[in-house]
Amino acid sequence: MDRASAPTEPRDWLADLTASGREQDRALRDLHGLMIRAARHQVWRMRPMLVGAGHDTCEELANQAADDALASLLAKVHTFRGRSRFTTWAYKFAILQAATEVRRHAWRNREVRLDDAGVWPDGRPGPEQLAEAVDLATAVARAMVVALTGYQRRIAVALLVDGVPVDVLADRLGTTRGALYKTLHEVRTRLRRHLAGTGHLPGATEAGTR
Amino acid sequence: MTANARRLSPAAVHRLVTTTEPWLSCEDCFALLDEYVEARLADPSAIAPAMDVHMAACPACAEEAASLTILVAGDDDIDPEPALRRIASNASER
Repeated sequence: MDRASAPTEPRDWLADLTASGREQDRALRDLHGLMIRAARHQVWRMRPMLVGAGHDTCEELANQAADDALASLLAKVHTFRGRSRFTTWAYKFAILQAATEVRRHAWRNREVRLDDAGVWPDGRPGPEQLAEAVDLATAVARAMVVALTGYQRRIAVALLVDGVPVDVLADRLGTTRGALYKTLHEVRTRLRRHLAGTGHLPGATEAGTR
Repeated sequence: MTANARRLSPAAVHRLVTTTEPWLSCEDCFALLDEYVEARLADPSAIAPAMDVHMAACPACAEEAASLTILVAGDDDIDPEPALRRIASNASER
């Protein structure tokens, strides 16, 4: 981490960013520097996903993410309410953008299978895998057939069984992370309700739909 | 059973049945993320049930929370580990 460029607070970022002339230019330049710093931090944190990518590729990803994050931040700067430091608020835009870019890049040449696949429990219980766990897995496999729609099953298998990153699947389907997470919420609610009904999960209180 | 059927590992079973109540969307999580991270760094045991549940159920948001925690802790020259342990423990508790 570049300690020399660590931000110092308090600074009235909103005033500086909405000023005019050189003051605003300086604020934008400093803010872009924060975006690059946070994006670089995120890209290098997720570096193991980028098999075969060199230093230049990582820097390109970080710089692109920083540029996109800055644009996204500036479009929402009026929503900053000061409930955290401005720098913390700003960092999250770059971290989100960089993480999304890394996941996209890592999966750019990988196929995403979105078939209505069946699932079956891993039937090789080891010492750590009790018969109770095998029973639950069998019940979950059954519940996925009877309690989910085909679309819900495809999304659940891709995200929770195959491990496709949510941003990547959102890109491929032309939807958003939030929409897919909402689908997972519905999947989990249906599965939990079904499994509570069959006695495989305790209680039905939190298995209800909201 | 289809030809493309997948094995359901114990970890996948856990992911499929983990609770998402109280409900919080990814958009709401992002809106609260900066406050959540600063609160966790100030007091790792701070109460934030909806955010904790979301972190346990959404690995993408959890990764970004952990990353922001480390970045902010670096600025403040404080140890991020207690906050990171609290964020990570959400997954193992559910």
